[in-house]
Amino acid sequence: MIRPGPTLAPLAACAALLVAWEIGARLAGIDGLPPASHALAQIPAILGDPESLLHIGASLRRMVVGFALGVAAAVPIGLTMGRSRHVAAFFNPLLMVIYPVPKAALMPVIMLWLGVGDASKTLVIFLGVTLPVIYHSYQGSRAVEQKMLWSAAAMGMTAPARLVRIVLPAALPEILAGCRVGLVLALITMVTSEMIARQTGLGNILFNSLDMAQYDTVYAMIVIIGALGFVLDAAFEWLRGRLVAWAEPSHPIMVGTT
Amino acid sequence: MRALPAPIAASLIGALPIALIVGLWQAIAMSGIAPPSLLPAPGTVFTRLVQQLGSAAYLDHVATTLIRLFAGFAIAALTGVTLGVAMTGSRWAGAVIAPLVRVLAPVPKIALYPAFILTLGFEDASKIALVVADAVFPILLATSQGTAAVEPKLAWSAQAAGASRLRCLLTIVLPAALPSVLTGCRIALVISCIVVFLAEMITSTDGLGHLLVRAARSFQSVDMFVPLITISLLGLLLNAAFNALRRRLLAGFPEAD
Repeated sequence: MIRPGPTLAPLAACAALLVAWEIGARLAGIDGLPPASHALAQIPAILGDPESLLHIGASLRRMVVGFALGVAAAVPIGLTMGRSRHVAAFFNPLLMVIYPVPKAALMPVIMLWLGVGDASKTLVIFLGVTLPVIYHSYQGSRAVEQKMLWSAAAMGMTAPARLVRIVLPAALPEILAGCRVGLVLALITMVTSEMIARQTGLGNILFNSLDMAQYDTVYAMIVIIGALGFVLDAAFEWLRGRLVAWAEPSHPIMVGTT
Repeated sequence: MRALPAPIAASLIGALPIALIVGLWQAIAMSGIAPPSLLPAPGTVFTRLVQQLGSAAYLDHVATTLIRLFAGFAIAALTGVTLGVAMTGSRWAGAVIAPLVRVLAPVPKIALYPAFILTLGFEDASKIALVVADAVFPILLATSQGTAAVEPKLAWSAQAAGASRLRCLLTIVLPAALPSVLTGCRIALVISCIVVFLAEMITSTDGLGHLLVRAARSFQSVDMFVPLITISLLGLLLNAAFNALRRRLLAGFPEAD
């Protein structure tokens, strides 16, 4: 069932932003800020062009692969950290040191090592995704009721089985909250690293059109990337609602950056 | 042998992975698998870092980056706290701001950078604008969540005692929400640090990010690592300094973690 409020309000917000942009651009009348209508008119041309579709598809594929690998690596680490003091003590200082490193800025260094292909781009996205997912899995795993684990142990369940059968489902809402942040970060890292590396992808189309002074295309790309962020986040929220309907609704997103 | 006290044992375990990584780095660099032009030895990089931190030209770039960072962060903090309090204080403001935040928060702000360049120019203003765009949301969300969670009885008693709604928001609700607000600010500070560096990497003629790109263009791998380590250290330091400030400000708050 769709409640009208939460669906209509963001649409109204989008419309208000577009109207404000249109009016602002017409009032300002500068080359660097075309009206919303001109930019939106470019979107069909971009999405209809097979070459740019290929770029966008390649970007999204790298994003999905990097995200999936990141989640697959981060969830087990986070869950074991939450259940073992020693594992937490092992990883915590390392994660604290990695936290303020701009992951997308590693792009030039990683490109030296792995070349300009998919491997470096996927690795950077992987690095961007892992930290929030580890952190949330850790918090979720720490909060699991000790009595449930004791009862399971008393009934003869082994430690790895307890982690998979009890800690994982109990921590799932928190893990998914981490995945939500991770997904948006994957998109941010993808766009940023493409802007820095300037080889292929969405970020590259954006800056190429900037260099060629195709301002309408620049703004159209911004709208496409922005919409992608909103749609990915909303789709994940919907999925999360289905998977863990029993848990409390999550807080609004507090996304970091890479 | 007596066991070590728990905190010391924990920090020893924690130092292990970092030592392993530096050791591995050293081993690979020494083994010759990777030529120094691809992976300089850790010693070389740290010597260069210390040398650069003593050079006036390098510190000029650091200062440029810091000015952009703090200008953006200050604007974001002011805007974020104001809008966050407004969302809790007025139902109208909440109804207008909440959907806008819902739409704009998951948008990759870095994509707006070309728009900022086109409207604000290639200089400081566009980079500061990008920092504001990225840093404002964590502060805004933390403020609105924190102020919404304040015990309503506190506000009711103040209003019963004759305080106006605005006064009540500023002197009762905002201070009571301080732990949450400061957490949002701390996250935003590290974000600002990262974003200003990325913006400088994408287009700039000065600042730490520009130094990294300049070194990458001329394949000076040692000089690529130095700005990267500097910005990460700055992030760590600012994070630690902000935590210390937060503890001072929150002395006496029961729920401060």
